[in-house]
Amino acid sequence: MTGFYHETAFYGTDDDFLTIAVPFVEGGLRAGQPTLIACAEKNTALLRGALGHEDAVIYLPGADHYSRPADAIASYRDIFGGHALAGATQIRTVGDVPHPGWGVPWDWWGRYENAVNQAFAEFPLWGLCPYDTRITPPEVLADVARTHEYIATVSGEHLPSPEFGNGLPLSTPVPDVLELGSPRVTLVDATPAAVREAVSAAITGIRLTEDSAHDVVYAASEIVTNGLSHGVGPVRFRLWSDDSRVLVTVTDQGAGPADPLAGLMPTTATRSAGLGLWILHRTCDYVSMGREEDGFTVRVSIGGSGHT
Amino acid sequence: MRTSGVTDVVVGLHSNDHLCWPFDDFAEFRARAAEFLADGLQQGQRACYVAHGDDLVADLATQPVLVEALRDGRAEVISLESLYGAGPTVTPEEQVSVYATATLAAIEAGFTGLRVAADATALVRTPDSLDAFCRYEHLIDRYTTAEPFSAMCAYHRPELPEPVIARLAALHPVNNAWCAPFRLHATVDGLALDGEVDWVSSDLLALALESTRPENGELRVDATGLRFIDHHGLLALHEHARANAARLVLRSGRAFLARLVSVLELDDVECVR
Repeated sequence: MTGFYHETAFYGTDDDFLTIAVPFVEGGLRAGQPTLIACAEKNTALLRGALGHEDAVIYLPGADHYSRPADAIASYRDIFGGHALAGATQIRTVGDVPHPGWGVPWDWWGRYENAVNQAFAEFPLWGLCPYDTRITPPEVLADVARTHEYIATVSGEHLPSPEFGNGLPLSTPVPDVLELGSPRVTLVDATPAAVREAVSAAITGIRLTEDSAHDVVYAASEIVTNGLSHGVGPVRFRLWSDDSRVLVTVTDQGAGPADPLAGLMPTTATRSAGLGLWILHRTCDYVSMGREEDGFTVRVSIGGSGHT
Repeated sequence: MRTSGVTDVVVGLHSNDHLCWPFDDFAEFRARAAEFLADGLQQGQRACYVAHGDDLVADLATQPVLVEALRDGRAEVISLESLYGAGPTVTPEEQVSVYATATLAAIEAGFTGLRVAADATALVRTPDSLDAFCRYEHLIDRYTTAEPFSAMCAYHRPELPEPVIARLAALHPVNNAWCAPFRLHATVDGLALDGEVDWVSSDLLALALESTRPENGELRVDATGLRFIDHHGLLALHEHARANAARLVLRSGRAFLARLVSVLELDDVECVR
């Protein structure tokens, strides 16, 4: 098999999870294929119990591996590239992609599930992304059905997903809880320098490390620059915060980037376009971007627990 | 230690400081130039006033000490026309060597150095002369890092477009007001970049860099005084190094620059503390 076989599975019990995932892993091991497990703690423990002592399995701690989608793509591409170079004709990976059921906001992971169809297309890869229907919200399940070409079932079938590539946009990003309050900073069509100055003043007194404080200023500067250089005005910048977390958003009236890889992989077409978004996706705790009611919005969260 | 930053006073500057002094009003320029030169005399330097006009001695009458020095030869006035020749375009290297020779002569005559205040407006009116003068500004800036030569380069703001002022100001370690978002100036072993560089100012940085050349295959940039740089600015530095077959070496005490280099996978850039 060549190319990326992107498969999901919907399970409602731990037993169902194992019924789908164990044969997937064992099949890979039997065929001598590099086989990776990048699951959350609970599913990793379930698989370890069921598989017994298997030296050949490559475990990637899910919480680290899936901290940021841009990091996960970069790290997976390194791993897959290495195996492909070593002559692997098929690689298998099973991973728990984070979502609100794990306490993690979805938007950038939804874009990840969509982007990997391109980002991993060059590898001989079978990727299984199981979702627990007990905790996965319906809008996430809808995005998953749209972004995976196949669905694995408990009876051992691998069916085409009828929703795959149906042309519908991914679910709309969900506003942050901080946005229920009034923004502490609002600037329209301001220069990046003016935004940095306002942000620096606004975040004094918030519990942030020096690195995080710089990340906030950096992110604010880059998303405003992105709006001014690629978007359609007016470009509105806003900032909210609590005592340890800062949220910044930029909204413009454009359509946003057409490339599903925007922000998730460095763009190669031109050296600079899209690089700002890519940097934010690798340094910030959360980035959402998409069409919302009042325009195309990029939203960045830094500090606190990292989650909304 | 050379002064770097924005100042509104011209006294108390060092024997190798290099100021950019855009001005709106000639009387104000003459008064500041006279103060700057009088302060140099106090430090034992020879003083030299370069400007356009018929009675340059009268320009400096506000400072009695300077008038006296003009009389006894510790100070002199030179008309712009005689110093820079007939053409409005300087040859950068030649012009530096003129000042180097004059500095040496001052030291041999027992002075501690040479101090010059010049109205250079007439030398930057055309694109070619501006390019040449920017290169000269960088070369003389490098010269001042090592020799007891200090200068105030004044420009009459109403006669020059704002981007020209910004370009000139960006090549000086000291300015009299906010003229450019950053300052790219010479150090003993390379360049220092102070202030802020972002998408808006990265073109100005690329332009400023064109007046400089990496040495010994290295573009050494001291970013200790750099408050902010985004990827546009960093890539402008990287591109200048690459175009000159040099390696970019960035000095910074803060972690963000090394992190940006790493995220952009600029593997050929060296970050040092």
